[in-house]
Amino acid sequence: MQFLSGGFVILWVITFALYYLLPPKHQWVVLAVASGLFYVIGTGRMPLGILVTVFSAYFCAAALARSLSAQKEALAVCMDREEKKAVKSAFERRRKRLQIFCFALNLGILLGGKYMAVILPFLRTEHLLSPAGDAFFSNIVMPLGVSFYTLTAIGYVVDVGREQCEAQKNPLKLFLYLAYFPAVTQGPFHRYEKMRAEFEKEHVLDYGRLAGGVQRFVWGAFKKLVIADRMGIFVGNVFDGGRPQVPGGIYAVAVILYMLQLYADFSGYMDMALGVSETFGIALPENFRRPYFSKSVSEFWRRWHITLGAWFKDYVMFSFVMSGVGRKLGKAAKKHWSNLGKHVTALAGTMLVWLFTGLWHGRTLNYLLWGMYYGVIMCLSLVLEPRYAIWKEKLHISEGKFWSFVCMARTWIIVFTADILIRTGSLAQAGTVYLTIPGSFGLRATLGTLTDYGLSRYAFALLLLACAIWLLVSVCEERGMDVRERLAAFPWPLRWGCYYAVALLLLITGIYGGSYDTAAFLYQSF
Amino acid sequence: MSARAYICCVMPATIHHMRKDEHGMEEKVLEILEEYCEEALTYTGDNMMEEGIIDSFTVINIVSELEDAFDIEIDAKYVVAENFKNKEAILELVERLVEEA
Repeated sequence: MQFLSGGFVILWVITFALYYLLPPKHQWVVLAVASGLFYVIGTGRMPLGILVTVFSAYFCAAALARSLSAQKEALAVCMDREEKKAVKSAFERRRKRLQIFCFALNLGILLGGKYMAVILPFLRTEHLLSPAGDAFFSNIVMPLGVSFYTLTAIGYVVDVGREQCEAQKNPLKLFLYLAYFPAVTQGPFHRYEKMRAEFEKEHVLDYGRLAGGVQRFVWGAFKKLVIADRMGIFVGNVFDGGRPQVPGGIYAVAVILYMLQLYADFSGYMDMALGVSETFGIALPENFRRPYFSKSVSEFWRRWHITLGAWFKDYVMFSFVMSGVGRKLGKAAKKHWSNLGKHVTALAGTMLVWLFTGLWHGRTLNYLLWGMYYGVIMCLSLVLEPRYAIWKEKLHISEGKFWSFVCMARTWIIVFTADILIRTGSLAQAGTVYLTIPGSFGLRATLGTLTDYGLSRYAFALLLLACAIWLLVSVCEERGMDVRERLAAFPWPLRWGCYYAVALLLLITGIYGGSYDTAAFLYQSF
Repeated sequence: MSARAYICCVMPATIHHMRKDEHGMEEKVLEILEEYCEEALTYTGDNMMEEGIIDSFTVINIVSELEDAFDIEIDAKYVVAENFKNKEAILELVERLVEEA
């Protein structure tokens, strides 16, 4: 079920009405039932994968909590320090085994969900599947939100093991945490402890919050339908149109549009998810902070898909670096290379995180290379950072607006290069694009054929107008302004003029597919 | 030894020793912070990690140096925004782990 569908709006309105009509202590039940309906109606399948995830996380967390409390009791009666150490490590070993089982099960669901689409056709052509087996495996191809709920469940189990939260005693509440319908499709990844508090609070109907939530939803729809989907037409025709000779300049324009399409699409989805959640009084974490204003790649990734980055940092990077293996590696490296050695664990952790990030995003070699590309850039910036200050001094470069722009442009070029890898279907096509852009840019051919790829000059003009509005809002936000609050303070004719302008632009110029079924969100395929 | 004698003779020495140790510990922690993130020394807020003053690379380097300097193990569960919100929180974490070790 897409956010931009009649079915979703009906579900949202009914849930909203029941949420505020029923006694506040039952509000979480309304959300849990709505999330179940969203999942079952939206996919038309039984939510087998998510139920396995919920129950595995539920039982594993309960067992971890029991083990932690038994450990405390056992340690309380230990007199000797060595004995305490032995008792602690015995309990830790048992907990580790439990966690490994839970992680393997959920990663299996994630990988099965993601890679079944590749494996299944192979099994069919080789006649290795019975009809019953085919029906079963077809049901688990890319279950809705699998990339989201499996990682969220793993994070929850780790948090319980690290004593950062208590194990949830009610499996339905855990189901709500993992399948909360505004977030289950693409995130944002939220933390259990914060969300538990949000779900347990009693929320009263607030007009300001309702209006704010709806405004944010409409703004997200504007970014998706007016900007992202329009750009998608040009990008799709260039990369998937099968045209024999595309000038390098057209490829360059298509990649730039793809960079913006991805951002408008994904951040538009997030605005809608956060807007829907805001109407229930539940604050989801922000996932974007205007990433294209970043002055470095590491800053870009602190502003783009923030919650996924935080997940990988907390549960992969820190877990690896502070594990036995990470510590041994660090000590050995420090012994051998005095200067570089101290960075080795951070570098290894970074490469590991980017390897997983690449694999998480897609199943082709292009995604793996994309992850490695960012990993290497991050590592280089870590190692070279102390040199930057020296070079800047030697070259008499002073901080200022011009230098900030140069740094931002450098970030755009790095992202531009990376996005070619994920937009092209194969390494061969990526290679063609890399060679064609500088090799045969063809400025005249580019300008002459710009309107041959599905967008007329009026469509380009409309895109420019929509992007100008988007840029204006982004610049205001970058300067710390709360745009919605500022709009609310405008005199009513001006305020409603702005609302109507965006709504009309959305209704008249939004790209609606056949039967008003809009194109799927790009990140849904990751 | 009587309580009076303990208060007069031993306690001041113990307190002096503790303060000296704490002072040494603080000095060392600040020295490590100065090496990896000078900005942390002048930062007066309480959200160093989320405000981007201290990034994950820096955290890893600081953790590794603190572990070597004080012979402690800083588990991943302690690497949270709360324990790295400012220099005082880092110092408190080290004191707690040294005490537990």
